[in-house]
Amino acid sequence: MASRSIVKYLARRFVFLLVTYIVATTIVFILPRAIPGNPLAQILSNLSRVAQAKPELIRAAERALMEEFGLGKPWYVQYFEFVSKAFRGNLGTSITFYPRKVVDLVIPVIPWTLMLLLPATIVAWILGNSLGALAAYRRNTWVDKLVLNGSLVVSQIPYYWLGMLFIFFFGVRLGILPTQGAYPQGMIPNWSWTFVLSVLKHYVLPFSSIVVSALGGWAIGMRLMVIYELGSDYAMFAEYIGMKDKRVFNYVFRNSLLPQITGLALQLGGILGGSLITEIVFNYPGTGYLLFRALTTLDYPLIQGIFVILIASIYLANFLVDFVYAVIDPRVRIGQEE
Amino acid sequence: MKKYLVLILLSLVLASALAQVSLPREETVYVAGAIWGPATTWNLYAAQSTWGTDQFLFIPAFIYDLGKDAWLPMIAESYQFVDDKTLRIKIREEAKWSDGTPITADDYVYTFELTKKLGIGPGTGWNDYIEYVKAIDKKVVEFKARTDNLNYFQFLSYALGTDPMPKHVYENLEKKGINIRDWVNDDPKEQVVSGPYKLFYYDPNILVYERIDDWWGKDIFGLPRPKYIAHVIFKDNPAASLAVEQGEVDWAGLFIPSVWELWEKKKLPIGTWFKQKPYFLPAALILLYVNQTKYPLNDPNVKLAIAYAIPYQEMLEKAFFGYSIQAHPSMVIDLIESNKQYINYDLWKKAFGTADGRIPTDLAKANKILDEAGFKKGRDGIRVAPDGTRLGPYTISVPYGWTDWMMMCEMIAKNLREIGIDVVTEFPDYSVWADRMTKGTFDLIISWSVGPGFDHPFNIYRFVLDKRLSAPVGEVTWAGDWERYDNDEIIKLLDSAVSTLDPEVRKNAYYRIQEIILRDMPSVPAFYTAHWYEYSEKYWINWPSENNPYWFRPSPWHANTLPTLFGISAKNNPQPIPKWFETTDKGGFLIPTAKIFGDLQASAK
Repeated sequence: MASRSIVKYLARRFVFLLVTYIVATTIVFILPRAIPGNPLAQILSNLSRVAQAKPELIRAAERALMEEFGLGKPWYVQYFEFVSKAFRGNLGTSITFYPRKVVDLVIPVIPWTLMLLLPATIVAWILGNSLGALAAYRRNTWVDKLVLNGSLVVSQIPYYWLGMLFIFFFGVRLGILPTQGAYPQGMIPNWSWTFVLSVLKHYVLPFSSIVVSALGGWAIGMRLMVIYELGSDYAMFAEYIGMKDKRVFNYVFRNSLLPQITGLALQLGGILGGSLITEIVFNYPGTGYLLFRALTTLDYPLIQGIFVILIASIYLANFLVDFVYAVIDPRVRIGQEE
Repeated sequence: MKKYLVLILLSLVLASALAQVSLPREETVYVAGAIWGPATTWNLYAAQSTWGTDQFLFIPAFIYDLGKDAWLPMIAESYQFVDDKTLRIKIREEAKWSDGTPITADDYVYTFELTKKLGIGPGTGWNDYIEYVKAIDKKVVEFKARTDNLNYFQFLSYALGTDPMPKHVYENLEKKGINIRDWVNDDPKEQVVSGPYKLFYYDPNILVYERIDDWWGKDIFGLPRPKYIAHVIFKDNPAASLAVEQGEVDWAGLFIPSVWELWEKKKLPIGTWFKQKPYFLPAALILLYVNQTKYPLNDPNVKLAIAYAIPYQEMLEKAFFGYSIQAHPSMVIDLIESNKQYINYDLWKKAFGTADGRIPTDLAKANKILDEAGFKKGRDGIRVAPDGTRLGPYTISVPYGWTDWMMMCEMIAKNLREIGIDVVTEFPDYSVWADRMTKGTFDLIISWSVGPGFDHPFNIYRFVLDKRLSAPVGEVTWAGDWERYDNDEIIKLLDSAVSTLDPEVRKNAYYRIQEIILRDMPSVPAFYTAHWYEYSEKYWINWPSENNPYWFRPSPWHANTLPTLFGISAKNNPQPIPKWFETTDKGGFLIPTAKIFGDLQASAK
């Protein structure tokens, strides 16, 4: 009985996700095209200007590119081509980096983004939740005040500003850490200690700025949650029957963690998009930076490609969360049966 | 995801024992300013190939040198005109692909045919001007000019300047059913090239080429001096300029503000072509394009008044660091000595009353022209055409972020308002601006055209005035005639200039075109972009410059730059500049264009 209800529940979620996925990809198709401008402008003007190309060459290049990208076709044909190709895993060719495939451009930058954001997100989550729980446990002491006020301030600082502050203090003023890139410009990636060390050195600032900025939000959320749970019937009851404080707190902590796990899962799903601003501020070669370049040059296929991958990964994370919930939280299952 | 991460970390630790790859500084020329994004392809049949492909990997039969107006035979040993429409090129016996296969006439034929078939590639558009490309024997290839569209400049430029491609490589791709336009060709081991360099390494941050030490031409030309050419892909112009200043870059093609401070104030071993203003050679003519389809902006009197109102000197000083002089109104780039013969000086001197016929900035004169043409000032200070149409509001625009041009727009707009034309500046995003330019929906824009070359000024008259390159307003054309100028006489004159072998006829055609330009003022020639070129003598010396002008296209991004690398030397190992940089009459290899045209004329008899 229980397993059937899980299947039913998951099937419904799946259909729902599929529909929203189609809607989302449609929006991704429409939005970049709504921006005025010509996506071929960059390539053709490079040819026209730098190469001092002959009119014959420019015309031929324009023809070839229009054909390659199907830009001359009506929008609905372009749309159906995009959707049908996307379903077959073909995300097309980038315009700016023509003739590189979108997939070939996105895949190599994914490790950089993952390497930066995965640990940073998890560290921020662990630190933030621990601090939040600690603050709630020691409510109204100096610890609580410090955590609460500190978190409020840190979480309200716009990230780009925080990033710039980090660059300014550690990179420019103290000059102890590199301020941009994932490794020194001009260095060829290779498996040597020199390279690994320089990667780690370049890692410090973007990593710590993400942790610091994300930490506050988690801490505030966790603190509230724990306080709320501490006031609930089961916690009160446990206290009345004389259960040890630590024991009670353990139960409370676990229950408070549930929504935080959802939050974490959603964040992890969104990781592939890269932290756009982090990567721009630190010139970090991840998906966010690639998306930024794609947007500024109106590279439709690349924008679409990144979003398709991003949306898919967010949905996958969503789906996994639903699944995990159905397994660990009996209320979800029971809700389906009714 | 986590598995991936663990894998990466593991491999990082495990493989870290391996040795580090780094380039020997003394043998590497570091470059900046030729490429700003990740590398794409090393295939000239793709719509865009990575910098270096055309410069170092593949070479043509002859490379043109602007300074001596002469041609350096690279793959070609010699040429011969069978008659005045037929050219034969003899390929050097030594010429080989990097895999050892000889470069043959068949490669030539195949290259041209493939370009025709794909519609793009080396020599794109050749079949408009060349009837056929034929192999006479293994090492001789014949080109026949089309008589129904006779254009000697295009004929020679396609025949002499096209890079042949390795037939055996491309044929193989075709057999395998690979789409040639999409081929990336990024495996150094698989690359088959004719030039002295090959890809060594690339990633989104750096691009490195390595010299082929047993290159076929080494006994003829010697080897290019740098073992490696490395181009760091900088984030932006300031980052690249900083690297130049710090001596990390040896060879740059960058816009650097107040470049003279590098050696005058900071005493760095850095130089540009000229030690004084304008510091750089000209690269292309910049015009103030005036839309020909918008009345009354298209009235020649209005355009003449605009030409008088542009503050040429002031804006070049204040906005452009004096990196260019005012352009000559004939559109001919007279900074190159050999072009002066094409300027109808009498005409321009009489028209504008200046020493060389350049247009003076004279607001009083501009006002007078408009007054006399019946454009009366309204109460708001803006003029109204005789039929009551107000002169404006118009916009003058360049892309946002092009700060030097933005400043010029402000200065021009201010002067135009002063003479009663309602003009405001507008700085949209680049792609929006480009869209308006190519669709012909702008009012006034500052934009580029083409530069000096052996077919100058034909190339520039064609680009700016030939309506065959145009498209109706609202349709995109990148090829030229952005202002939508429409004049059949120009077309006839252009055709006569390029289909004649008589220098007098050609000169007269150009003179007549200049009379029409003066009459119609299609757009206003403003100044020249610079052939951005900076060098550092920290590790490499003997760079071409005004005092050492052995090669006239020294900027790293230019398609004809390769010989530069044969002239420079490592600082710790100075070498003489090869003798072959001289023209043939001085014992070198370079064949003057005049000699080629002379031979062509002689073959007609």
